[in-house]
Amino acid sequence: MEILYLLIPLSVILVFLIGAAFFWSVRSGQFDDLEGPAHRILSDDDSAI
Amino acid sequence: MGAEAARPALADFVAESACFHCGERNPPSSPWRAAVDGAERRFCCPGCLAIARTIRAAGLDRFYHQRERADTTPVEPASGEALAILADSAEAGGLVTHLAGGLRETSLLIDGIRCGACVWLLESYLAGQPGVVQASVNLATHRARIRWDAQRATLAGVLGAIEAIGYRAHPYDPSRREAQMRREWRALLARTALALLAMMQVMMFALPAYTSADGIEAQHRALLEWASLVLTLPAVLYCASPFFAGAWRDVRVRKLGMDVPVAIGIGGAFVASAWSTIGNGGPVYYDSVTMFIALLSLARLFELHARRRAGEAIEAIARDLPETADRLLDPADASRTERVAACSLRLGDRIRVPAGASIAADGTVVDGRSSVEEAMLTGESWPRAKKVGDRVLAASINRESPLIVRVDAAGEATAVAALARMVEDAANRRPAIARTADRVAGHFVAALLAIAAATAAAWWYLEPARALAVTLAVLVVSCPCALSLATPATLAAAAGASARRRIFAVRSDAWETLARVTHVVFDKTGTLTKGRLSLSGVEPLAGHSRTQCVALATALEAGSAHPIAEALQRELAPARVADGIVAVPGNGVEAIVGGRPHRFGRPEWVGALHGQPVPALADAVAADAIAVALGNDTGWIAWFTFADDLRPGAATLVGELREMGLAVSLLSGDRTATVAHVAQAIGIADFRGDARPAAKLETIASLQRAGAVVAMVGDGINDAPSLARADVSLSFGSAATLTQWTADVILADDDLRGVVDSISRSRKTLRVIRQNLCWAFGYNVVAIPLAATGHLTPLAAAIGMSFSSLLVVANALRLARVAPREAASERSAV
Repeated sequence: MEILYLLIPLSVILVFLIGAAFFWSVRSGQFDDLEGPAHRILSDDDSAI
Repeated sequence: MGAEAARPALADFVAESACFHCGERNPPSSPWRAAVDGAERRFCCPGCLAIARTIRAAGLDRFYHQRERADTTPVEPASGEALAILADSAEAGGLVTHLAGGLRETSLLIDGIRCGACVWLLESYLAGQPGVVQASVNLATHRARIRWDAQRATLAGVLGAIEAIGYRAHPYDPSRREAQMRREWRALLARTALALLAMMQVMMFALPAYTSADGIEAQHRALLEWASLVLTLPAVLYCASPFFAGAWRDVRVRKLGMDVPVAIGIGGAFVASAWSTIGNGGPVYYDSVTMFIALLSLARLFELHARRRAGEAIEAIARDLPETADRLLDPADASRTERVAACSLRLGDRIRVPAGASIAADGTVVDGRSSVEEAMLTGESWPRAKKVGDRVLAASINRESPLIVRVDAAGEATAVAALARMVEDAANRRPAIARTADRVAGHFVAALLAIAAATAAAWWYLEPARALAVTLAVLVVSCPCALSLATPATLAAAAGASARRRIFAVRSDAWETLARVTHVVFDKTGTLTKGRLSLSGVEPLAGHSRTQCVALATALEAGSAHPIAEALQRELAPARVADGIVAVPGNGVEAIVGGRPHRFGRPEWVGALHGQPVPALADAVAADAIAVALGNDTGWIAWFTFADDLRPGAATLVGELREMGLAVSLLSGDRTATVAHVAQAIGIADFRGDARPAAKLETIASLQRAGAVVAMVGDGINDAPSLARADVSLSFGSAATLTQWTADVILADDDLRGVVDSISRSRKTLRVIRQNLCWAFGYNVVAIPLAATGHLTPLAAAIGMSFSSLLVVANALRLARVAPREAASERSAV
């Protein structure tokens, strides 16, 4: 069971990495508009993106 | 003053070491002293001294008694020059309204407002300034509305006065609100997601302890606990910080909100767990802590999401007004124009409004004839003819031909802006159901804290060794998880499910009110009808077929943006060509087809072409229809009627609402005959036409006085005040944006079924909330005495609490499930 001493800290580090990545994506505005992008793919005008 | 004098000298002691105005530490032997509020006070800097002297000189020392705390952040005083530039740019940006009698008015956003005392100080001080006629400050929105006499005061002077007492004012620009909303959204989204992440992982670490039959080895348990601690710490410090901030705010104003027990619960459980983990042994509650934070944040996120949509609607009202206008360089010459910002228009300017464009300001037509669509403002669904001397309103759309308009009011002085203010006022007067809920929660929390304190005291007296564990058990078991989750979790589930049906509750108390509704009041325009004309009948008079007549009319109306032309184009008649089309505003169109002059429009005008009398069937036209004649120089060709269509399902809707035991009425600004016709068609007995916004307000108020709970389904901007006055209001997503701002519930699908759906859903939601509250209450009645008498260990308490919360959340999630029948109808609708 010694592997736990590696795996559990590893999982904690992973959670922090995921958290940091998500935090960054929120900060950079990727979640500001949750509805617009869904409609935008339907618009023919590619330049609007 | 007796009570003041009897107070301990603490305030005076603080006054010695801290700045009397801002609370910052004073430099040793501060040279800045002044006699304020009856004693010698010291200050940290000349800025604070000047502010205090100003306040003293205005006789407003009472501010220092009334304010809640002394940490007003001192502002760097801006130079007079900077203020002058700020004032000038506000003038240039159209943020200053010119009123009659040389008065000016502007909206300001004020930084540094902390409490009611700040509002009092600002209002009293500004009102005492020479030339300031009126100053009103809103504590919640930090907005001030200032009115002053341009002869005796300047905007720069007003801004300077605000700075002199330690605040900073910005002329209000709506986009700042947008930025603030975005910041709030990002912060809450990050908090919620990180809390959910922490919850997920901590749950996984907690699982072995719950599932292993004979316990896990001590060193493994320690490892898992440490890992949980590392994950829970940021969740508590970052994700839960709004709860702590809220609790701190509540405590400071000596008020008990739900944030207080939440903060105590989170803080207490975390500290106790950490205490156990760092080597003292004992139970840990990391899983409960993270779950609690995550679920509460999630509930708040749903609420903010709905509010944000409303905020976007507020921004959108600015979009209804065109941003630019074509101003005539020379009032006499309509050919040369310059493009200017709509907000920089001045009284008396002349602007050119091309056909199809919306009008930038309120004004009077000085040249041209056209028809103008004012549905947004007046609720009248078809365009009105405008000729020289007629008034036109900002945000209405010029349909036919160019107009030259003399500006009578621009920017904040327009009718649209006045309506917006009316809405704001009405919204501010809304009975605050939320406050009642808070007060009840406060009582519960107070009782809870009292029980915990009594338990602690009793056990301290009986058995000091167990006092902490038992008190913690009481706090944890009652940790108003279930109770405080009962409502938000249910509301969040309901909001999520309705969002899938594209129904958005903007205010969180909307569901509660909606469930109690007894009256549903409809507005006709665009609510029960489609809000657009369609061809309802053709009566050929000269032996032509229906298709031929429609084709001829379509050719005449080619290229027009008039609603009648749009209705004809939807008929898809075979193409014909008309030459030399001339639109005669107020009458119709004239053109050459097949070598003969044809007219399509007002019967009398068409009749003038051939001189024959108007046929008798003109009288047979239904009350809600528009009759249009088609003729050439030899006689009548056909008779067209156009009507505003009922929305599909309008009659079913009224029937279903009746079945739910609701009274239905129709209140419209349209002609009474039209309203009567629509009411008859869908089976509403109680209707009223020709209702102006004020009359609508009065009707709703009288219903409310009679004890009714009124739900208003509205559309045009003219409905906005009544939407705000009604107990709860619904508006369609396609409706004018201002009403979305006021509406409590937005039906984004533009489908009438949403009305029934949202009411039945709200009733279901309220039922689940009641079940949850009953459960939480019953659970507390059983569990708290058990815990207080020491029959529950903190671990058992935590399991009980988690179980209770899970049950509540699971019950709430029943609402999130879209019933199979609904799902099927959704599919068939698509």
